[in-house]
Amino acid sequence: MHFIGKEIDQYLNQQDYIDTVVVPLLQIDLSETGMKSSAGASEYLQNLTALLEKQFKGRILLLPPISYGKTADRQRIADELTKEVEHTKFKHVFYLTTDSEWRTLDSLKNVLWLPAIPIEDMDQSFKNSVMEDQLRQVLPLFTKEWSHHS
Amino acid sequence: MSNNRVSRRQFLGYTLTGVGGFMAAGMLMPMVRFAVDPILQQHEGGDYVLTDQAVADITEEPVRVDFTFEQTDAWYKSEVTNSAWVYKEGDKLIALSPVCKHLGCTVNWAGSPEHPTQFFCPCHAGRYEKNGQNIAGTPPLGPLDEYQVKEQDGFVAIGAVRDNTLV
Ligand code: FES
Repeated sequence: MHFIGKEIDQYLNQQDYIDTVVVPLLQIDLSETGMKSSAGASEYLQNLTALLEKQFKGRILLLPPISYGKTADRQRIADELTKEVEHTKFKHVFYLTTDSEWRTLDSLKNVLWLPAIPIEDMDQSFKNSVMEDQLRQVLPLFTKEWSHHS
Repeated sequence: MSNNRVSRRQFLGYTLTGVGGFMAAGMLMPMVRFAVDPILQQHEGGDYVLTDQAVADITEEPVRVDFTFEQTDAWYKSEVTNSAWVYKEGDKLIALSPVCKHLGCTVNWAGSPEHPTQFFCPCHAGRYEKNGQNIAGTPPLGPLDEYQVKEQDGFVAIGAVRDNTLV
């Protein structure tokens, strides 16, 4: 499900089935030299999470990207998010990001870090196949988590 | 003559109604557009989309066929890729929607090793027969939708989605 009014109605009715929340973590870099790759990473991450949502629509709630600046205190963001999710019915939380700094933080569980691939210049069908490939790396991590604790 | 003069009060009354009317129209118009848009979109989706899947290569075993079309969401145009499970029943082409009728995940043919001749939904283990019939005891309550499908110059062309006609 997407984090939009209509689908939240459905979520609220089906909380037992939609037991996983997916949080994209997105670093925004507005410096002239960093902007382009930051935007590319954003495009990649949002493409990937949209595909993931399509595949697992009935089991995950995809949040809009949590965006922050380069110097953001990631530990603080992690704590806030953890607290927010704590009192919900979600049984599983996944964080997806292309920002490597999250790898040094071990207070968050299930952080999937993927290096961003610049997809903006690819033609549609090539882009589709690249993103499918990326998706295929992520899917088993979800099904594995689900089959372990469900 | 002076009876037809617009008094200050009347003038104010008229102008305010006018402004109010404008504001109401300003609020209503987008709402009307939102309400009408889905209907327009469905119309656009009514045409067949040609895929690059050769009909000659289709067998009785369902294969995934992707098709891309342009979708307009209000002012935003985007390319949308959907897929269908396509197989042959005798000479007849059949295309099923991969969207699970439980809560909308994407189902896979032979997605579960224990059920190699069924569609499987990874979200809550929903299952369907090859013709899309949902299997009792699994979460989905209805059969998979069907796409209109035809052969165009030797390739599969996918049309509008409709209720399953096979079960
Ligand atoms: S969404 Fe397919 S079984 Fe629940």
